Amino acid sequence: MSTHVATAGVTQPRQYHGVLDWITTTDHKKIGIMYIVFALINGWLGGSLAGLIRLNLYNPDWHIVSPALYNQLMTMHATIMIFLTLMTAFAGFGNYLVPLMIGARDMAFPKLNAFAFWLLIPAAMMLYGSFFVVGGAAADGWWSYPPLSTAQFSAGHGEDLWILAVILLGISSIMGAINFLVTVIDMRAPGMNWMKLPLFVWSWVVTAWMLVLAVPVLSGALFMLLSDRWLNTGFYRPALGGDPLLYQHLFWFFGHPEVYIMILPGFGMISHIIPSMARKKLFGYKGMVMAIWSIGVIGFMVWAHHMFTAGISASARVFFSMASMFISVPTGVKIYSWLASVWGGVIRFTTAMKFALGFIFTFVLGGLSGLMLAVVPFDILVHNTYFVVAHFHYVLVGGSVMTLFAGTYYWFPKITGRMLSEKLGSWVFWLFFIGMNWVFMPMHLLGIEGMARRVANYRIEFRPLNQFISEGFIFMLLAGILFTYSIIKALREPKTAGDDPWQANDIELHLEWATSSPPPAYNFAEIPEVD
Amino acid sequence: MEHASLASPAAAHAGMHADPSAHTPAPSFWPILLAGGMGAVVFLVFLVYLGVPLAGVLLAAAVLYTLVAASGWANTIAVERRHMDQVQTNKDLTRGFFFFLASEGMIFVSYFEYLYYSRFTSAHWPPAGMPTLETTLPAIATLILVGSSFTLNWAVHALLHGKKTAAKNWMLLTIAMGITFLGMQGFEWGFLNGVLGFTLTTGAYSSAYFLMTGFHGAHVTVGLLMLALVYWRMEKGEYNQQYHMSLKAAEYYWHFVDIVWVFLFFSLYLFQSH
Repeated sequence: MSTHVATAGVTQPRQYHGVLDWITTTDHKKIGIMYIVFALINGWLGGSLAGLIRLNLYNPDWHIVSPALYNQLMTMHATIMIFLTLMTAFAGFGNYLVPLMIGARDMAFPKLNAFAFWLLIPAAMMLYGSFFVVGGAAADGWWSYPPLSTAQFSAGHGEDLWILAVILLGISSIMGAINFLVTVIDMRAPGMNWMKLPLFVWSWVVTAWMLVLAVPVLSGALFMLLSDRWLNTGFYRPALGGDPLLYQHLFWFFGHPEVYIMILPGFGMISHIIPSMARKKLFGYKGMVMAIWSIGVIGFMVWAHHMFTAGISASARVFFSMASMFISVPTGVKIYSWLASVWGGVIRFTTAMKFALGFIFTFVLGGLSGLMLAVVPFDILVHNTYFVVAHFHYVLVGGSVMTLFAGTYYWFPKITGRMLSEKLGSWVFWLFFIGMNWVFMPMHLLGIEGMARRVANYRIEFRPLNQFISEGFIFMLLAGILFTYSIIKALREPKTAGDDPWQANDIELHLEWATSSPPPAYNFAEIPEVD
Repeated sequence: MEHASLASPAAAHAGMHADPSAHTPAPSFWPILLAGGMGAVVFLVFLVYLGVPLAGVLLAAAVLYTLVAASGWANTIAVERRHMDQVQTNKDLTRGFFFFLASEGMIFVSYFEYLYYSRFTSAHWPPAGMPTLETTLPAIATLILVGSSFTLNWAVHALLHGKKTAAKNWMLLTIAMGITFLGMQGFEWGFLNGVLGFTLTTGAYSSAYFLMTGFHGAHVTVGLLMLALVYWRMEKGEYNQQYHMSLKAAEYYWHFVDIVWVFLFFSLYLFQSH
């Protein structure tokens, strides 16, 4: 299983070639690359659904899609982006980088690692396939709240497939998370003690803990939902003494930690990129570690802020409102530490750094609208409007996706041995940055004016703003095309990147830059010792 | 990171020459085969629900295939481990298994959350129209299951002290007690279903009752399979003082199942009225 015991004279195991090599690989780097490619493909598919949604909202009178199909598109857009794109992209970078960063030759359980990846394929097939079953795909939003998700109101089998696929994806996430935890606990290179651990690794430790504790609760909730649909049990049916509100509690007990699961690894990436590009050591390493842990712990105590209008008690509202605001303290620690790391540095405005700085700007905006939503009276006013849509897209696109762009530009040379074009990169950044603000900023206004989310049509006075938003989508689309083109172009070029193209190790030691680009199959000829 | 630096920068650099002693993990077909099997099982469960002809037969085949793939995987690991540092891989596997149990525990937490939420938001408990559950038989079942944790402990203890016959006997007793527990549970289900008409669909309370005891019963069954496998390997004399990782895993799993039952017994049977 584990490879940290390099017994002298062990013969290299049989290797396969071509497709068989990828199918049978247990190398964390190849598995990491497969995760990242899988995420990119799903990002395109999920993004295409967003394009159809925007096209429909450009002018609902054109009836580009039927209202029923619109609901399916909106549900599947969220499901694909969350479970198949963001989570898998971070799992890919984690798989590739964590063993390198801690000076190990692989993950603790290389086969389990491959298994967690391959489990994504049947789940994805079931999700995409559900568009073609009678009644179409799930159409009740990614929360899948009863009573809307019960057999009575979601009679189609897309909902059943959705539930089964998400349970499978949960198993995959838990297996991956267990692997990360054991790897970091047991396989750090000699001298790599906990307080020398790179922040990306720290962020994955906390993320993995959250996955192990939060995802099973979703599985439990979905299992009860499926049993209500298939076996006529009464868990969420008031007529039988059940309570649909309980589903919301269980769902968000998973769902809110899930938000941090999708952003913490991104925080970790930014904590590597900023010191390297500002040519200055990271400010406040210990504070950063404590902040990640605080976010991880408090993240489990804020779930009901998604339910302020669902009929929870006044004292619960007060508690969850305050706990939610409290989370801005550790988040603030991170933001200020990044800014302090930039301050006075000799900044290199590479594409990675542009995305990192852009991320700080957009993520702070997402955080601020989050604080507004934590205020109960304001939340009641804008609940389920486009204000909420604007908020979580600033966090997920302005947060997670921006960090993924930054991370891709930063670690692409390590993974492939080739540099991504900085000239194209600049275009990608500005198109995406302008595009995402163009699309999501006006949604705040739409929300405050009362446009409801998840509806295929709207009142006529919302049309100008909706058309403006849909036009902005073209910028994001162009950024995606250029980004993908840039990757394909770079892959055809010779490997000239060198071990440490950003001279990161002149600032702080990071083991991934101490090996070649791309690293050999065994990562380190000799396990490095860290002082 | 302030003080981190490489003890010998050149040594870490793998670009030098391929180190013949650097052992990389072997490629394997098992992960994709098992993932495909699990995906097929889940999809076929859906087809069985839809009533597609032959889906049941295919599901049985897929379950069998998945079990074969899992055993093939386990066998590969057992073979590989002979060339590896036993102490370290035991540590890794044990740790991983604990994290797995933590996530299993969280599934039960979601069901307990359901139960206590319903309990504290309803006016009557058990809800109107639901029977008060009889506690004598479950109490005896609880004693048997908790007792089996002790007999299992003695089995492990005996094995580690070289008393192989005693170990096998304690193990057999443990398995017998586990089966007795399942039998009593089955008897109670039959009584509730047949005599009291208390079924899965009577109400949310009965749904929760059957889900929690059923999910737990499934875990007892898996635990029994693990114990049976361990017994078989004891018969073959495969364990010794150092090499008994799977024995330990089965032991932890069995204790876990026991602890969950104690919580279930208190929550479902002992404190029924409020």
